[in-house]
Amino acid sequence: MSIHFIAAEIDLKASTGELLQEIEAALQRRGEPLRWAVVSVDKLRRKVLIEAVVTVTE
Amino acid sequence: MLIVPTGIGAAIGGYAGDALPVARAIAQVADTLITHPNVLNGAHLYWPLTNTYYVEGYGLDQVAAGRWGLRPVHQNRVGLVLDQAIEPELKLRHLQAADAARATLGLDLTDYVVTDAGLGVELQTASSGAAWGTIQNPDSLLRAVERLIIHGQADAIAVVARFPDNLGGKALQQYRQGQGVDPLAGAEAVISHLVVRTFQLPCAHAPALSPLPLDSTLSPRSAAEELGYTFLPSVLAGLSQAPQFVTQAPAQASDLWAEQIDAVVIPATACGGGAVMSLSQTGARIIAVADNKTTMQVSADALGMNALRVNSYLEAIGVLVTHRAGISSAALHPTLPSLNRGNAI
Repeated sequence: MSIHFIAAEIDLKASTGELLQEIEAALQRRGEPLRWAVVSVDKLRRKVLIEAVVTVTE
Repeated sequence: MLIVPTGIGAAIGGYAGDALPVARAIAQVADTLITHPNVLNGAHLYWPLTNTYYVEGYGLDQVAAGRWGLRPVHQNRVGLVLDQAIEPELKLRHLQAADAARATLGLDLTDYVVTDAGLGVELQTASSGAAWGTIQNPDSLLRAVERLIIHGQADAIAVVARFPDNLGGKALQQYRQGQGVDPLAGAEAVISHLVVRTFQLPCAHAPALSPLPLDSTLSPRSAAEELGYTFLPSVLAGLSQAPQFVTQAPAQASDLWAEQIDAVVIPATACGGGAVMSLSQTGARIIAVADNKTTMQVSADALGMNALRVNSYLEAIGVLVTHRAGISSAALHPTLPSLNRGNAI
């Protein structure tokens, strides 16, 4: 197992519930999430930046 | 629920257990307070709160999402993991702290386990300014925890990892002045999150560090971490009565689930965590505290969540009091507009 830091930009969704699902799905594609947070929101571009720590099992 | 996210320089709670007074105050007005080790741990300082659940951050996120519940306990048997990289003298200091917790507080500890490799803690800072970090040997940590569970019958886990003493002069100096970001916090969270995710047990972490030279200008907010040789006592005390996680049926009447959480109190600029976003879906009231500044700029509003923004924790506690009493907090403001006479719903 190894631990990785990742940053990902995701489209801002119409509802928080949709955004939550989108974040969790995006992180799952990169590994098994340990910790994440939205660290900035760009309302003009309708994007959110996520920083996360995931584990990857070799 | 009270959350002060770790590693983002929260003005209150970003240092040495300095959100504990906030937790103590909220515990006076809440039936049950759920909060995390970073809020309640002040190295050697802690405060027993009978109605407060000590819940590690990964578990907190799972509870908020409704995937796990919390089951109160009378006592946990705490297993202690020591990083192989801890030097003999520092290791002995930690074992003496653990023995002191047994003799002076009456806590139940298993025999300790030393990891089969050095954990290799590395500290980093993300571009947002948040602290994060990693360990090079996560499997060694998990093997040690497994031994404590299988051979020691541990039902909560305290981890002590050797952290680098060279934290970067400026970051450490700022931290000791009660400013900037705790450079250890992100790696600490990774360690405890990994254990909780893997074993679904209460876990908390204390870093092992060499003592710092005396600093006469030390901030009160950081001072609790310079009282002794270890940060372990508050971790052991918290874990000794931390609720267990309920991950599947059958449920018990005393279990606590997300839908029972009435409110979450959070710094107003740090609303981008999973727990707050999940609780925004349950009807819990989000109380965002403006004067607990952080390095983040993510408001509830920016993410489309309804939150009540207050200036201070004193005001947040007032909101909790009115909520518990069934009083609309709007009625306590000097102006209260009439109901709209023209358009009934």
